[in-house]
Amino acid sequence: MPITTTRRRLLAGSAATLALPVFARAQSAVKPRLTAISQWSAGSDGAAITALGKKFEEKGGVWQHSPVPGFTTEMMNKLRAQIIAGDPPACSQLKGPEIAAWSKIAPTVDLDSIVAAAGYEKVVAPDLAKLHKPGGKWIALPLQIYSTNMLFLSKRGMDKAKADKIPVTWTDFNALADKMKSAGMAYPLANGGTRPDDGQKFEASLAGISPTAYRAAMMNLDKKALEGPEIKAAFAQTRKIADWCDPNVGAQPYATNLKRFVDGDMGMMIMGGWAQGVLKNAGFKFDDYTIAPGPSDNGKPVFLLNADAFIFWQRKEPDLQAGQALMAQLVMDPAIQTMYSQITGSIPVRTDVDLSGEGWSDGQRRTAAALKDAIASNQAVLSLAHNMAQENGLTAAIIDVITEYVKNKTITPDQAVTRLAEAVESAR
Amino acid sequence: MRERGFTPSRILIYLVVSLFAAAYLAPLVVVVLNSLRTNEEIAQGSMIGWPQHLAWSNYAKAWSGFCVAETCAGIRPYMLNSALITIPATVISTLLGAVAGYAVSLWRFRGDNWIYGIVTLGLFLPQQMRLLPWTIVLRDIGLINTLTGLVLIHTIQGLSFTVLFCRNYYVAIPHELIRAARIDGAGFFRIFWCIILPLSAPILIVTVIWQFTHIWNEFLYGVTFTTGQQQPVTAALIALSAAIADIPQHGVQSAAVIIAALPTLLIYLFGGRYFVRGLTAGAVK
Amino acid sequence: MTGAAATVARPAISGLVRRLPEILMIWVPLLLSAAHLISFSIWTIWISFTPSTLVPVTGWVGLRNYTSVLSSRNWQIAFDNLLLFGSAFVLLSLITGLMLAILLDQRIRGENVLRSIFLYPLAVSFVVTGTVWSWLLNPGIGIEKLVHDLGWSSFHFDWLVNRDMAIWTIVIAAVWQSSGFAMALFLAGLRSVDGDIIKAAQIDGAGPVRTYWRVILPTLWPITVTVVVIQLQFAISAFDLVRALTNGGPGIATQLPALVVYDLMFQRGQLGRGAAAAVLMLLILLAVLLPYAAWRYVQRQRVTHA
Repeated sequence: MPITTTRRRLLAGSAATLALPVFARAQSAVKPRLTAISQWSAGSDGAAITALGKKFEEKGGVWQHSPVPGFTTEMMNKLRAQIIAGDPPACSQLKGPEIAAWSKIAPTVDLDSIVAAAGYEKVVAPDLAKLHKPGGKWIALPLQIYSTNMLFLSKRGMDKAKADKIPVTWTDFNALADKMKSAGMAYPLANGGTRPDDGQKFEASLAGISPTAYRAAMMNLDKKALEGPEIKAAFAQTRKIADWCDPNVGAQPYATNLKRFVDGDMGMMIMGGWAQGVLKNAGFKFDDYTIAPGPSDNGKPVFLLNADAFIFWQRKEPDLQAGQALMAQLVMDPAIQTMYSQITGSIPVRTDVDLSGEGWSDGQRRTAAALKDAIASNQAVLSLAHNMAQENGLTAAIIDVITEYVKNKTITPDQAVTRLAEAVESAR
Repeated sequence: MRERGFTPSRILIYLVVSLFAAAYLAPLVVVVLNSLRTNEEIAQGSMIGWPQHLAWSNYAKAWSGFCVAETCAGIRPYMLNSALITIPATVISTLLGAVAGYAVSLWRFRGDNWIYGIVTLGLFLPQQMRLLPWTIVLRDIGLINTLTGLVLIHTIQGLSFTVLFCRNYYVAIPHELIRAARIDGAGFFRIFWCIILPLSAPILIVTVIWQFTHIWNEFLYGVTFTTGQQQPVTAALIALSAAIADIPQHGVQSAAVIIAALPTLLIYLFGGRYFVRGLTAGAVK
Repeated sequence: MTGAAATVARPAISGLVRRLPEILMIWVPLLLSAAHLISFSIWTIWISFTPSTLVPVTGWVGLRNYTSVLSSRNWQIAFDNLLLFGSAFVLLSLITGLMLAILLDQRIRGENVLRSIFLYPLAVSFVVTGTVWSWLLNPGIGIEKLVHDLGWSSFHFDWLVNRDMAIWTIVIAAVWQSSGFAMALFLAGLRSVDGDIIKAAQIDGAGPVRTYWRVILPTLWPITVTVVVIQLQFAISAFDLVRALTNGGPGIATQLPALVVYDLMFQRGQLGRGAAAAVLMLLILLAVLLPYAAWRYVQRQRVTHA
């Protein structure tokens, strides 16, 4: 019966991660090859991974990337099918707590020695590192970091509203939005209506109001925090944000509003750093907008972390093992991280990369600085909307509540708080 | 005969039909028009509009230009893949369905109604439920990530339709015909070849049209059970539209949609009359 | 004794061998089809009782997956939507299909062209249908914007982003896509009505409307049932179309069971719950199919006993 094979594999997975020999010996004789699965088939993400592939080939490897069209679900489907078939890719895109969950169903590669040799752990934020070493050993490597709550301000929009101060707290933000509205902007906010977007509205609100409450409620699922006043306040702020968005956007992504944003018909956007890559890819210039850290009521930047990563699945073939070693080296290399981040608009994972050179935008510099500050003041938290804080099942249950709340103006913040607590309980 | 002049009732009929025709044509017209407008034009205006100049470049880009990660070969290779999946699966499932339909309706054997019932119940089994079991089956027979595996899936799943259609068609054939032939000594295949097949043209066309369309337009299995360059054309379409890390490229997307839909559209264009004819004989009991 | 039995046995066996190709050709495909249907259904039912998350595992959790699904807002909204969408879609596509068939039956000019126009939506993939209609129905870029640009600025057609009306956009797109099939079936039925009956009615002085109403339409009853069943199947398993058109939104207002199954199984990595939702879907289907099967059975009894 097929299922017992899976069970055997489950046991094999946990045992093998401890027992896997390091692949140092494989490197010399064999041409490295890498089979990879990701969802990055187009746009700036597609361009970035293609560039990474080219670098892989420059180093003498055979690059076999299989992009899965669609969204993350389709990619996970493909990954799951490959794993069940006993033929996992040598590496695949995966992130957040899913790394820990998936590592239990198939054996992964122990990267500790490679990571130690590169001295990588010293330059990665500790919260982030933890996600990639679920069993205590490195099995995945983060590729790039985004903040999901950057504040984008349209230059023309700000001119229209005759504003020049960058808002720091939510009060400032609300005031600016009102100002833009009275200056004739029908919808000051260019956000979209997808599920992650709605999630971002909420998490930016909550994290900005109180990062401690965010950590307790969203990351640790503390019952008391989930029913606390900060959650209610966050929902109230989310309602304000939603009211400033164009209702006609429906379930479309923010990208459909970008033209209006740049032209000044919409003045602000709360979005992740990847929007820089999108804007660049669409031909807009860095001068058209400013970036600042998202609003934070205590004045110090709050950083909502989102990081893509590659997980390495155990393979017996020596050329794939060599490929994995090569890929791991590349991913940790500061030059590669620079190249990757410059294409997508993210910031490198390594905290020791110098962003003052050419090719980096002011936005990226500000983001990197915000990350440093946030780590220092313990205000760097994991993004809920982008599946960093919780596994997919729980995240989806929470976002169900949030997106329904955003789209249905008759739900009060109190009701939303109750629903949120219920959703977390039933999905646990 | 009924008078054919311009009576008020006939004018009314033509009017109503024209209105419906316009409504049905509208989406196609919109897509065709959009395929000839540039991405910027559409972004500045609305989705419904007249092209300023004919942007044939959209078609060029859709056919051989747009990129899916590393490969910038447009939709052309995916069309070939779809053909390699759809044509064999359609032909085989139609053939097998005809034989089985004939067996169940005319030849008869023990348990035929039961197995017919189970097979046609398969029409109602949702496709999401079958994804993981097929993964396990394909793995056990070693056909994951092969076009053959996909052909197998579509053939077996297609049997539910083809047996249903063919059987409902063949029940109209008089049993005496078969009985007489059997008395004359003709066997199963001989009767099929000499009597049944010549009569089957309408329903075979219906079946082929239906199967071809369903398999050509299928997305879920196509993406999960193939890899990289083997993917069918539906995957390429999704790649073009699901890129949220990108400003929408509606012009190229529309051109790609038209190209991808051409085979099935042409089939319905030329096979439409047989479609009705095939459903007439035996008028689906 | 044994001699006679032996001679009887031998022809039977060689007869079997002779008929082997025919047996194989009939039974192998049918058995494969039936086997895969039965085994997949059983597999899904089994998984629904296990604590499976990312991949199938063994274990027993009783009805926990079922209670979890049944108590979730997602499922409740999906179920309500299915009732609404299912009945509206089936009814509308029936009426539309019948109307178009009657219109085409009038021997009007250009019948071939018109038939192609009403049939071609079947050729389009569900994903494309959903995508194109999502463009058309979007108030900011589609029909509403067009009408605004043409001057009528108070025109509203924002059903797509309206929580209460969004489900009707799915109805519209689905009827567009598949009423052609209903039309084809009805046209086939209309064309196969016995000419003598019509002539008899005309001789009796019945006008065209009365002829249709009293004579022709009643003969279409079996076809109507078939159309209803096939359209219901489409409604219950509608997945690609909804995903491309609204993706369950705005919010979760247009959730449907097929989406919930996929979402639970693959997006949320909760296979057990997804399987439970799938079994619930099957139960809904059975609730539709059993009366149909019973009706057919009664019909057949009536025919054989007439």
